[in-house]
Amino acid sequence: MTPWTPRIAIAAVLACAVVTTVGAQANRGRGTSIVIVTGGQATLPIPTLMEGAEASVGNLDVADQLFLRLADLGPKLLTAGDSHFVPALARSWTRRDSVTLAFDLDSRARWHDGTPVTARDVVFTITRAKNPTVAPRLSELLRQIASVTAEGPGRVVFRFVQPYAEQLYDATFHVAPLPSHLLDSISPTEMRRSAYVTRPIGSGAYRWVRNVPGQFVELAAVQSFFLGTPKIGRVILRTAADASARLNLLLSGQADAMDIIPPPPENLRRVAADSTLRLISVPSSTVGYLLFNQRDPKNRARPHPVLADIRVRRAITLGLDRRQLVQAVFGTQAVVPYGPVSQMLWIRHGAPEPEAPNVSEARRLLAATGWGDSDGDGTLDREGRPLRLLLSLPNTSGVRRQMALLVQEQLRRIGIQIEIQQLEFPIWQERRTAGDFDVDFSSVSQDASPSGLTQSWACTGGNNVAGYCDRTVDSLMTEAIVGRGDPAETWIDAVRQIEEGAPAAFIYAPTFAYAVNRRYRAVTISPQSSWITLRKWSVSQDQESHRGK
Amino acid sequence: MTFAVALGLLFFLMRAAPGDPLFRLSADRPISPQEIKVLRARYGLDRPVGEQLGAFVGGLLRGDLGVSIEHGRPVTALLAERLPATMLLGGSVLLLNFTLGLWLGVRQAVRHGRREDRWLTTASLTGYAMPSFWLGLVLAWLVGVEWRLLPAAGMQDPLMDADAGWLARVGDILRHLILPTATMSIVSIAATMRYQRAAMLEVLRLPYIVTARSKGLSERLVTWRHGWRNALFPVITLFGLWLPILVSGSVFVEAVFAWPGLGSLAANAVGSRDYPLLMGASLLVAALVVVAGFLTDVAYALLDPRVRLG
Repeated sequence: MTPWTPRIAIAAVLACAVVTTVGAQANRGRGTSIVIVTGGQATLPIPTLMEGAEASVGNLDVADQLFLRLADLGPKLLTAGDSHFVPALARSWTRRDSVTLAFDLDSRARWHDGTPVTARDVVFTITRAKNPTVAPRLSELLRQIASVTAEGPGRVVFRFVQPYAEQLYDATFHVAPLPSHLLDSISPTEMRRSAYVTRPIGSGAYRWVRNVPGQFVELAAVQSFFLGTPKIGRVILRTAADASARLNLLLSGQADAMDIIPPPPENLRRVAADSTLRLISVPSSTVGYLLFNQRDPKNRARPHPVLADIRVRRAITLGLDRRQLVQAVFGTQAVVPYGPVSQMLWIRHGAPEPEAPNVSEARRLLAATGWGDSDGDGTLDREGRPLRLLLSLPNTSGVRRQMALLVQEQLRRIGIQIEIQQLEFPIWQERRTAGDFDVDFSSVSQDASPSGLTQSWACTGGNNVAGYCDRTVDSLMTEAIVGRGDPAETWIDAVRQIEEGAPAAFIYAPTFAYAVNRRYRAVTISPQSSWITLRKWSVSQDQESHRGK
Repeated sequence: MTFAVALGLLFFLMRAAPGDPLFRLSADRPISPQEIKVLRARYGLDRPVGEQLGAFVGGLLRGDLGVSIEHGRPVTALLAERLPATMLLGGSVLLLNFTLGLWLGVRQAVRHGRREDRWLTTASLTGYAMPSFWLGLVLAWLVGVEWRLLPAAGMQDPLMDADAGWLARVGDILRHLILPTATMSIVSIAATMRYQRAAMLEVLRLPYIVTARSKGLSERLVTWRHGWRNALFPVITLFGLWLPILVSGSVFVEAVFAWPGLGSLAANAVGSRDYPLLMGASLLVAALVVVAGFLTDVAYALLDPRVRLG
């Protein structure tokens, strides 16, 4: 080492300081831009291709900016009937009969390359979406659509397999039209490798600018957008998988908005303490519950030795102080749901209040089934066997980990021993699917439509892993979906029947807290898709002129 | 050979581990058996394991590592996108580690027993004892959020002017690089200092150093030309071990600073059982182990005339 070494070191540090200062000066402000930090980056935000892992929130968020649906859900998120939807690509629709809907497209609608949006684009997209080898998830969702035909360039007619309440929802919500003039020469199987997916052209309020992998996606406002030029000119969807990194980006001013401030409540307090940020509560589609296995995990042909008895399941539910659990983990950002109904589902309106805890009734029910504390050790037993249950959960969920400990403690007080089994996510999921659990701490994200409840709570539902089967529930749900009566009341009856059967203890239905910088005006956030209303937001004039370009 | 054994082991061990990559997809929403069937066929998971290995090796020979189940994109493209960020972070850490770490280690040995040595020993032990994920959280919060001196996360400012020059862009990346580099370096420099100090103390006691001094050579020449050269071997071994770890072992730091590198990509691939991506990332690390071993051997040969390559 020479006498020059310290000088070289000082020179290097000074050079770095100069260069970093230059780097810091290159950003002249936000102007009419917005930086949104999210957990997952868009990898393939293309309708019909968002299958499997690509059906991610990151992709859906970007796709909702790039592509416009025929119609959007209204503010009440009502999926039944034809009257609660908001026109988008379709300026209007008419019902021809109980199985036919005709949509008139808005003649002003254009693809980002200037080509008009036509009925041919809708037919092309639905045809692709109904192909099970291309889009297995979508084809299942669109199974009730019998045919789609174009009547001239501006009208498209949907025919359905049978009359049911959510025809308009199925026709408009699941998939947004794609530009057939750019894609019909590309085979469905080649589409995900085509140049189109690297620079998608849509019909939405924002157009694609660039994707910096692992960092952000940039979109720009379409100045000629037919429903009004967006006031926010530039949208950056910035990715940070780690929740603390997202929070730091927000609190350091590197991001203007963030979806879903994660628990613990301390995070909310930190955001609330920042005067530049505004917190917005949004009903979430998530519902968390303790699912009771009614079949023996060791032999699915036999009933579960403990949980097949409805009295034990009800005792567990009554033995839990669910409000206390929710308060401890979420603070005010969640409620105890009535049945498997998230805060986003429209059927929650008019549903009864969840049952309050009742420890003495829980003890009575357990005693009635022969469980007693014969040896005085605090744990109930029957025929020499203690009342011990395995509670399985994925180790990736901090919320469920915290709650499991509280559940363990609350049930210990009524003599039930809970052994917590935290599993790596794929292993947990594999065991859950195989029905290899006593009690599973489940959490699902629900569709806007209550018909998704059949997946978990109908006897033959694809996600019914606990062997729950109540024919009354099945018939009520079928009646709610295809019947001609008021679906809301029928759905509430079905949910009430589920509650009474106690297939699960429904624990939490959270409200997600979003944070948005106060310089943005007219801010609304839809539970259905976080940033879908972005085109209607604006930027405070004062701050815009102060800060930027 | 090393590579082939690593490849075979990785392939079979991954599939032997419990957990199906497609069940991961039903994390939030129910996924139908029909959807699972189509996806299984799409990713070749419905074929026998031997056939899957054959397809993988065939693809590997063509430079095709398959399509990531989690990202739906070619693995080679994903790795190519993330590798520069990892190399930049890892390279910066290595550079600091093997300049500052070595210099401080030698300085400690030369000033053995004095106040500076004791102070640096305390500092290095403190640095070594600090978990990098904790240090990262503290630095991000303090420097990025509270003081707002440097970016709290990310690799570049997405709002940078489109017409910004190269100097501004380099400066922007450097600003983002400082905190993750500091987080990783504080721990690794401490280790290098300890190794270098111990090796140097060993060498400075040897007779040829006494001879060099008795010949009237300056202390600087004795230390750096005669002593340091021979005290480098343990540190070179350390360098060989560090190189692959810097690619795969920066998971926490990448997560805390939202650094778009390979570490977090590989860690997520483990959690989601994304076999193709996991294979790709593992092969890259295996290749780095081989490269690091080769570089270490070359360095030995350069420093010690008794060691010959071949």
